[in-house]
Amino acid sequence: MKLAGTASLPAPPAEVWSLLTDPSRLSRLLPGCERLEPDGPERYKATVKFGIAAISGKYAGTLEFAHKKPPNSLILKIDGKGLPGFVKGEGRLELRAKAGDTEIAYNGEAQVGGLIASVGQRMLDAAARKIVHQFFEAAKAELASGKGAASEPSSLGQSHARGK
Amino acid sequence: MTTRFIGKPLKRKEDPRLIQGLSHYVDDLNLAGMHYAAFLRSPYAHANIRSVDLSKARRASGVVLALSGTDIDGAIQPVPCAAQIPDMKSGARPVLARDRVRFVGESVAVLVASDRYAARDALDLIEVDYEPLTPIVNPEKAIAKGAAPLHAGQKDNVAFKWELEGGDLKAAFKAADKVIKQRIVNQRVIPVPIETRGVLADYQPGEGQLTVWSSTQIPHLLRTQIASMLNFPETLVHVVAPEVGGGFGTKLNVYPEEAIVAYLAIQLGKPVKWSESRRENFQATIHGRDQIDDLEVAIKRDGTILGLRCRVIADLGAYYQLLTPLIPTLTGLMMTGCYKIPAARMEITGVFTNKMATDAYRGAGRPEATYLIERVMDLVAAELKKGPVEVRRKNFPQPKDFPYATPTGLIYDSGDYQKALDMALKVADYKKLRQEQAKLRKEERYMGIGISTYVEICGMGPSSAMPAGGWESATVRVEPTGRVSVMTGSSPHGQGQETTFAQMGADVLGIDPSQVQVVHGDTSVVPYGIGTFGSRATAVGGTAVYKSLQKVKEKLARIAAHIVGSDPERMVFANRKIFAKQSPKKSVAFGQAVSAAYVAKTLPAEMEPGLEATTFFEPTNFTYPFGTHICVVEIDAETGDVKLVRYVAVDDCGNVINPLLVEGQVQGGIVQSVGQALFEEAVYDEQGQLITGELMDYALPRASDMCWIEAARTVTPTPVNPLGVKGVGEAGTIAATPALAGAVADALAPFGVHHVDMPFKREKIWQVMSKNRRRVQ
Amino acid sequence: MIPASFEYQAPKTLDEALRLVERHGDEAKLLAGGHSLLPLMKLRLATPRYVIDIGHLRGMSYIREENGQIAIGALTTHTEIEQSALLASKCPLLPETAAQIGDVQVRNRGTIGGSLAHADPGADYPAAILALDAEIIAANTSGTRTIPARDFFVDMLTTQLHPGEILTQIRIAPRRAQSGAAYEKLHQPASGFAIVGVAANVLLGEGGKTIEQAAIGITGLSARAFRAEAVERALSGKHISEKVIEDASRNGAEGVEPLSDLHASGEYRREMARVFTRRAVARAIVAARGDA
Repeated sequence: MKLAGTASLPAPPAEVWSLLTDPSRLSRLLPGCERLEPDGPERYKATVKFGIAAISGKYAGTLEFAHKKPPNSLILKIDGKGLPGFVKGEGRLELRAKAGDTEIAYNGEAQVGGLIASVGQRMLDAAARKIVHQFFEAAKAELASGKGAASEPSSLGQSHARGK
Repeated sequence: MTTRFIGKPLKRKEDPRLIQGLSHYVDDLNLAGMHYAAFLRSPYAHANIRSVDLSKARRASGVVLALSGTDIDGAIQPVPCAAQIPDMKSGARPVLARDRVRFVGESVAVLVASDRYAARDALDLIEVDYEPLTPIVNPEKAIAKGAAPLHAGQKDNVAFKWELEGGDLKAAFKAADKVIKQRIVNQRVIPVPIETRGVLADYQPGEGQLTVWSSTQIPHLLRTQIASMLNFPETLVHVVAPEVGGGFGTKLNVYPEEAIVAYLAIQLGKPVKWSESRRENFQATIHGRDQIDDLEVAIKRDGTILGLRCRVIADLGAYYQLLTPLIPTLTGLMMTGCYKIPAARMEITGVFTNKMATDAYRGAGRPEATYLIERVMDLVAAELKKGPVEVRRKNFPQPKDFPYATPTGLIYDSGDYQKALDMALKVADYKKLRQEQAKLRKEERYMGIGISTYVEICGMGPSSAMPAGGWESATVRVEPTGRVSVMTGSSPHGQGQETTFAQMGADVLGIDPSQVQVVHGDTSVVPYGIGTFGSRATAVGGTAVYKSLQKVKEKLARIAAHIVGSDPERMVFANRKIFAKQSPKKSVAFGQAVSAAYVAKTLPAEMEPGLEATTFFEPTNFTYPFGTHICVVEIDAETGDVKLVRYVAVDDCGNVINPLLVEGQVQGGIVQSVGQALFEEAVYDEQGQLITGELMDYALPRASDMCWIEAARTVTPTPVNPLGVKGVGEAGTIAATPALAGAVADALAPFGVHHVDMPFKREKIWQVMSKNRRRVQ
Repeated sequence: MIPASFEYQAPKTLDEALRLVERHGDEAKLLAGGHSLLPLMKLRLATPRYVIDIGHLRGMSYIREENGQIAIGALTTHTEIEQSALLASKCPLLPETAAQIGDVQVRNRGTIGGSLAHADPGADYPAAILALDAEIIAANTSGTRTIPARDFFVDMLTTQLHPGEILTQIRIAPRRAQSGAAYEKLHQPASGFAIVGVAANVLLGEGGKTIEQAAIGITGLSARAFRAEAVERALSGKHISEKVIEDASRNGAEGVEPLSDLHASGEYRREMARVFTRRAVARAIVAARGDA
């Protein structure tokens, strides 16, 4: 499964970079993240409970940063499994300043296996997009609260993903 | 013999119980103290197993036993493969994976619990440490240089190479005016019988008796194999195939679960049941087809086909099941179809990939052959701008050519291909169809007409050509009350032999079909038999029944003649009476003659008492049914939707015992074939995940996808058996896919397209139509 | 079916059901006809701790006129909607849509409330509900509220319903003179869900030559069903012609990120949105004219 798109975050790249690479803050961005703790350099153990409506599952695994070029690009690797199956993926995030904001271009590929792969095809693409969407929405909220401002109403139109 | 019942459309004796839900399938059977097995299956297509931790599962409530592949190492032999091909490599499937898994759905552990919910819940507590390996999914990549072999100790993923050549191919291609080349793909499909597999095993330690109820097409072979796999005395194994809800070849096999469930029952001393879920059925019951065929055809300008060369890549999956390597070789035998092609060659490369095994699926290798040769005929017609009928006719053998020897070494028993074609053209009103098509094309409507003239190989078969015996058995016993038991080695699972064999019994013995009970599927009751597959139950099993009936009839004639004082040779059986042909008054009631056999006071001298006969019938050849199917489709250019408009099926399966059942088989086969042509495809992604994992994503044809099937028959009896019957169980699936493919290609002809691979999914057709500009106005 | 274990509760009244939903919140799922929930539970994709069976509640299965509107109880089955004489005369779009859902067994068991609340991206009703400008009534322990269909569908399997709420009723205005509607669907051959489903509801001007208003609901195309406002704008106030319909239909997928799965790519879905919008609008116009 491929996932690529862009998102715009209302802060300069340096600030976005520090948000994305700070595990304590990153855990707040990951939808359903219950636990994120260091497991070696640039590597974290994570437990995530993700679900859409009645469909939900708990996944345990690792999250890893690679090829960090602050504040321009990094590669994010995830590897997790749970009762509904397993996910292994890698994505490249590129940050670019754009009129005081940061435009993030992401491009990744994930392998999905087990139950979710065999019976969840119809929903997988949309579910992945939803995760990405929630991630960037949470990032916006986090940036807003980091500025000390009251959390602003999120605008859903700003990030868009395309999947294949 | 007067035929009051043979040839008549009797309704099936089986149906009242089936329709009312009064039948007993494996899952309907419940024994006191019964426990339930559940299998943990690999989510990975290819991985090393570092460890399997069963400790939590073993402690779970209700769980009585949990075993990994290591725990049973050596206790159960691998899944048997009966097919033998020279130099074929080992692809034995362990019943539980031990070190490595090679397809998604391969079992790595089994557990038994007091109820099926506890069993399923405990699966989640098993911890397996997998080391994922790169899956090999694409068969061409699997045999490319550098691909890692799936099986340890092998140098590559070539399971076997098989070649067959007949005639002078070199000369054929030298003499050719043109050579056509084409690659066609026969996609992997999932058979989907309505009843999934199921096994119930019970072990009585006192008697040492093991009873296994399994949803199988081959109870006796399963019994032998279970005995071998468990090293258990065959005499103490009793196998029962209760009501079986369809097989389509998937149950012509021996599966790990059958041996393991039996093993668990022995270990526990408790009955153990396992019922397959639909998802398991998709992942771990055999798949069908999956061939890539590269074709070269040498032709003359007048449409004569001189030679055919095929290179076939057969994707076998990760392991062999019972007949896996054999199936593509049947494609080779039948590759010249119903045409006089003097030279032909097929080279098959069987390939291991990280998928479930392929094996016999309704038609088993012959639908692939018919698809291949019928696509060839259409491509030849398109190339030479001739009609598809003309090209076919040009290459038919004539009735006087039978028995006809093919370059692939077969002897076609009997046939009149012209006649079936003519009848189909007449029923379809072919000329008018072409006129209508021309008219619609002007309106930018895309109607296509597809023709499939097929011959298939049935009545399997002479033992010399079969991996595990090709004969069939039958015992006929007239019981003291005059009721007749027919014990057949065939194992019907939807074919209706309880009806057709009763029709035969009734006609031979002059009684009513209701007096004849057909018994099957129980190895303690029926003599050792081979089973039901390969359209053999009537041609081979039916002949065994017929011969046993004749033996019993002869004995009854002697008894009756003895009672009335007449010549045994001249006794007539009718209306539950046995009488002398010349003087009908010299008559005894059927029951009276039967009774005499058992009371044994008035038997002719030296005659044994009792009234029972057994036959093991060995056929001298296969049978070769044939026919012509014509399919008319219309394609919605905006959506790519292929709609069936008409379907004409003219089949010749020799003599017919029950035309209603023949038509049912033809209809069912065609619909199944429509499924492959339009919808079905087992899709594995690049990681070897079966992503069409359920019926929500794997489309089967529905009634609303069909048009009415206009069925007709010609009758060309076979000399191979005394009944003159050929078999019809697979004709529909063999004949129909090329008819649909031909119709779709014909509809797309204005776009300059002559071949599209199945399935003809809407988006694919839409792509073809939008990307190829319409060329012919 | 071997689901994970759950606690089954069968309240006798709606009030009791509402109290249970309030108490259990996220841990509970409502069971009505079961045709969305049970397949998920069977596969253990859904493992709710509590299953609250509202399928047996009395008085929630009806189709009746109330204050000039048609009120449909949430537990009304697809078959009941398909066969309703009242709907056939006052709101034929709904029976037409119901008849295209799944198969006979699904239609006999599945309920309109369950389908809407589940909000499957390929479900059929959402298109019709949107095109009809229906109102959805939701209750909780403190009362009821009305949600316009336009706002109801939020995302894949996600609606405006809050935890603790139960969808109780759907309200629809009866069709007006000179109006007509149609539902055109490309079904996914395995599941029967809509790859694209378009419900068109048009109101014609005097003499049936112009479109006064058009309401277009599209399902299957994206993660949620939506109103195709660009199509509506392109049709409203126009003289009816093949070209007007064709041009308007090109906007069917405007501003939408189409779903893409093994059954249909986004590109194909987008194109089918055009084709089926055109077909639905054309047939809705025929239906409206038939009335004149």
